[in-house]
Amino acid sequence: MTAGLPPTTASEVDAPIWQPSSDLMAHKARSPRQLAWRRFRRNQLAILALGVISALAVIAILAPLIAPFDPTEVDRKAFGKPPSLEHLLGTDRSGRDVLSRLMHGARVSLSVGVVAVTIYLVIGITLGSLAGYRRGLTDAIIGRVTDTVMSFPGLIIILAVVPIVGRSPLNIMIVIGLLNWPAVTRLVRGEFLSLREREFTLAARGIGARDRRIILRHILPNVTGPLVVLASFGMAEAMIVEAGLSVLGLGIQPPDASWGGDLQAATDVGVLTQKPWLWMAPGAAIAIAVLSINFIGDGLRDALDPRAIVGRR
Amino acid sequence: MTLLSVRDLVVRFRTQENTIHAVNGVSFDLEVGETVGLVGESGCGKSVTSLAITRLLPTPVGRIEGGDILFDGRSLLRLSEAEMRAIRGREIAMVFQDPLTSLNPVLTIGSQMIEGMVAHEGLSTADARTRAVELLGMVGIADGHKRINAYPHQLSGGMRQRVMIAMALSLRPKLLIADEPTTALDVTIQAQVIDLIKELTRRSGTAALLITHDLGVVADMTQRTCVMYAGRIVETATTSELYARPRHPYTVGLLNSISRIDQEPRDLRPIEGAPPDGSRLATGCPFAPRCAWRLPVCWSDDPTLAAEDRDAPVITTGPAASHLAACHNPVRADEVEVGRPQRPGFVAAPNPALVRAATS
Amino acid sequence: MLRFITRRLLIAVPILLGVTIVTFGFANLAPGDPLSALVRPGSDIKGQDIERLKEALGLNKPVHERYVTWLGQIARGNLGVEIVGGGSIAKALTKRIPNTIKLMGTALTISVVMGVLLGVLSAFRQHSKLDKAMTVVVISGISLPPYLLAILAIYFLAVVPFQLFGIKLLPAGGLEDPVSTLPPLIDELWHLILPALVLAFAGTATFLRYTRASVLEVMRQDHVTTARSKGLAERRVRARHVLRNALLPVVTVLGLSLPSLIVGAIFVETLFSWPGVGQYAIEATREHDYPAIMAVGLLTSVVIIVSNLITDVTYAFVDPRIRVR
Repeated sequence: MTAGLPPTTASEVDAPIWQPSSDLMAHKARSPRQLAWRRFRRNQLAILALGVISALAVIAILAPLIAPFDPTEVDRKAFGKPPSLEHLLGTDRSGRDVLSRLMHGARVSLSVGVVAVTIYLVIGITLGSLAGYRRGLTDAIIGRVTDTVMSFPGLIIILAVVPIVGRSPLNIMIVIGLLNWPAVTRLVRGEFLSLREREFTLAARGIGARDRRIILRHILPNVTGPLVVLASFGMAEAMIVEAGLSVLGLGIQPPDASWGGDLQAATDVGVLTQKPWLWMAPGAAIAIAVLSINFIGDGLRDALDPRAIVGRR
Repeated sequence: MTLLSVRDLVVRFRTQENTIHAVNGVSFDLEVGETVGLVGESGCGKSVTSLAITRLLPTPVGRIEGGDILFDGRSLLRLSEAEMRAIRGREIAMVFQDPLTSLNPVLTIGSQMIEGMVAHEGLSTADARTRAVELLGMVGIADGHKRINAYPHQLSGGMRQRVMIAMALSLRPKLLIADEPTTALDVTIQAQVIDLIKELTRRSGTAALLITHDLGVVADMTQRTCVMYAGRIVETATTSELYARPRHPYTVGLLNSISRIDQEPRDLRPIEGAPPDGSRLATGCPFAPRCAWRLPVCWSDDPTLAAEDRDAPVITTGPAASHLAACHNPVRADEVEVGRPQRPGFVAAPNPALVRAATS
Repeated sequence: MLRFITRRLLIAVPILLGVTIVTFGFANLAPGDPLSALVRPGSDIKGQDIERLKEALGLNKPVHERYVTWLGQIARGNLGVEIVGGGSIAKALTKRIPNTIKLMGTALTISVVMGVLLGVLSAFRQHSKLDKAMTVVVISGISLPPYLLAILAIYFLAVVPFQLFGIKLLPAGGLEDPVSTLPPLIDELWHLILPALVLAFAGTATFLRYTRASVLEVMRQDHVTTARSKGLAERRVRARHVLRNALLPVVTVLGLSLPSLIVGAIFVETLFSWPGVGQYAIEATREHDYPAIMAVGLLTSVVIIVSNLITDVTYAFVDPRIRVR
């Protein structure tokens, strides 16, 4: 359009007209994170689950201090006794207090979850970012590697590796962690590919921001949502795998305390039928912990999904 | 003869987090064979109105909470779902904005065109197929007998929209509701589709309700136009009258924000500010925050549609329809082109709440 | 379409090769060489005899040559011998695979049928009591690990009825009861029920979840509104416009579950003493029998790659957007 004809009246020289109406004034701006937190808070089940996991974490951390007995200590007066005042959850066949073992077992299970997830998050994010941002040959190579690892049955690899590297808890954590990063890599790569071309990235590049800054400040914050959901489900999975290995005798075994290892007692028919407290306690612990983590993951996913519209009845 | 009469329609969306007031008392009429445009920015409630007429609002979130919709003398809101289904497709048909997502990607266009005819008119599949090929020819798609077996993704955007139109007109409805039919298309194709709709509705005497934000399309297609803002109709007139002599400040702002072939080239001015998001019901006129003509009463009283001559009888349809505007201080003839009040000493009234806050 | 299949095949080949390389690498990483493991300590085989045997068996050749030889053997169906007992791994697996397929096949069928059915119903009746109940099922299904479920199932459905009422409601394990009076087919079915149900629980939860999500997603799409605006009966809208589109992704989930037909039941087989591939793998691990473990790993990887291929091709066939031009 041809540039402005000179204003013909004084009132055409503009004083701004726009003024917020009173209802608009009361409108507080909330960041997406705050909105997501509000939505999460409304999910009672998830909040309950969060409480349960926090309690478990506290127990796990404080176990050495608050457990009534040392988990490996043998009470010669009580071999395989049912719950009593002294041993609130009974004792196992070697005379060890079940409750204390449960508490120490929490340390093992929760740390397996945390360590394994941390490992594969680190690997996955790094590889995914490189693949998604650099594209080209880097992406192709990482893609092939990811596909190959994904074609491997994770459990079999674990079975193959554990006899080689031994059964220490740390090794098991590392092995589990090294197997599940493909999913993270795919997620991160996908996000990078789509966000890379979005306007705000192009704008950042336009003003000359360096690559690393762009990745850290602009792209990664957008990925954290789905990543957190993936991490929580991954943690539950890692705990299940570790406990499963221990149940079959391939993981952490007595006298070391672990939920799965103690659950192994149930494979003995005598124990299964006559001393239910021995295996019901660790079984319940596993179930409660994993259920809680999954509820939290579900709640996070619902809270972070911007498209979810829930109608009021 | 009035075909459609919407009276004081109120639609709300209730989610767990808040309530959206999408439509706040909309009234308009449509005559047999008339084409009326419903114009407004995104979010003003025009699409919601069209979905409400056919009762296709997403339940349970969306609810019609007030008013009535009369079609052919019957109240649509009182019909059972089965009765409503008999009307959909057969008497009121819809064409939507994005033909790629509005057509089922895994079914051929033929089968999608046929199912309506088989369901409503009881035609055999073979007869329906023949008719579908005819319809494809009618909307300008050559080789209909071959194209009928194509999948939506095999056709161009323009062709897909023609298929949608053919599908909509296949049962010879009395009313065609077109929701942004050209928005997703290239400009050159837009003109073709507009002409197609005009031609077909004229030939078959079908009334049309055209919903769009594009003032150019409205000028080309409609006999009358209703302007919507924040869930209300703020002005309604015959299209030529509206473009020549708008009275509501919002309409004036809209017309000044586009380039017009019948005027001298000049700067385009957008309207300052943004429309309300619908989560709160405004006190007073919803356009007040952005209005250069506002009086103190505009901040507290929501105006109703009225003609310039308040004593004249109100005619709702046809070429002699009344020109109504919902405004306490309508724009005068000499102010239209300038886009600002031309009254010496006039200042747009500030928000009394802000004034109170500042002086307390 | 043909190009699509060829491309997928070509991509699968390097992955397959990669898998074999990794498997071979692992097998060689195992401490000790196969020969020394077979020699009993204290026997009077002399060192140089061992060396000559190694030479004869080609164990001294360079890595890449041994890899090619090994690959050739695999292609001929020779999966090596077990460290313990020296039996042919291929023969052992051939005996066990049918058992696992019987178990997992039953479980998978139940899972798909129940999962899809309940998923569709839940989605159509969102927020109803059924839907809420199904959410609980899904969460328990993915949270209660199969071994825990197995233990609970054995306890409550096999042990307790026997202890309390003297009834042998369901067997606590094994493939068959040699002294049973039932015809062998019925006996095997009776033994199949419990482990299959345990496995089907988690499987149903998975299919339920994906089906429900898919149906809900499709119901939100525009073409469903279009179908309704044509005045079609809701039943027709659901069958033709919702389900057809929504069940497409479920095909993918089904395809991805195929590998589990071979190795899906490791824990359950072991706990129920079901002689299948999974139990074999666990026994091999306990005995540190690397050739056996790696053979199972290789077998599973191949099944995974092949079933991925089949899934992709089937999906391409079923979805017109990929099939036609």
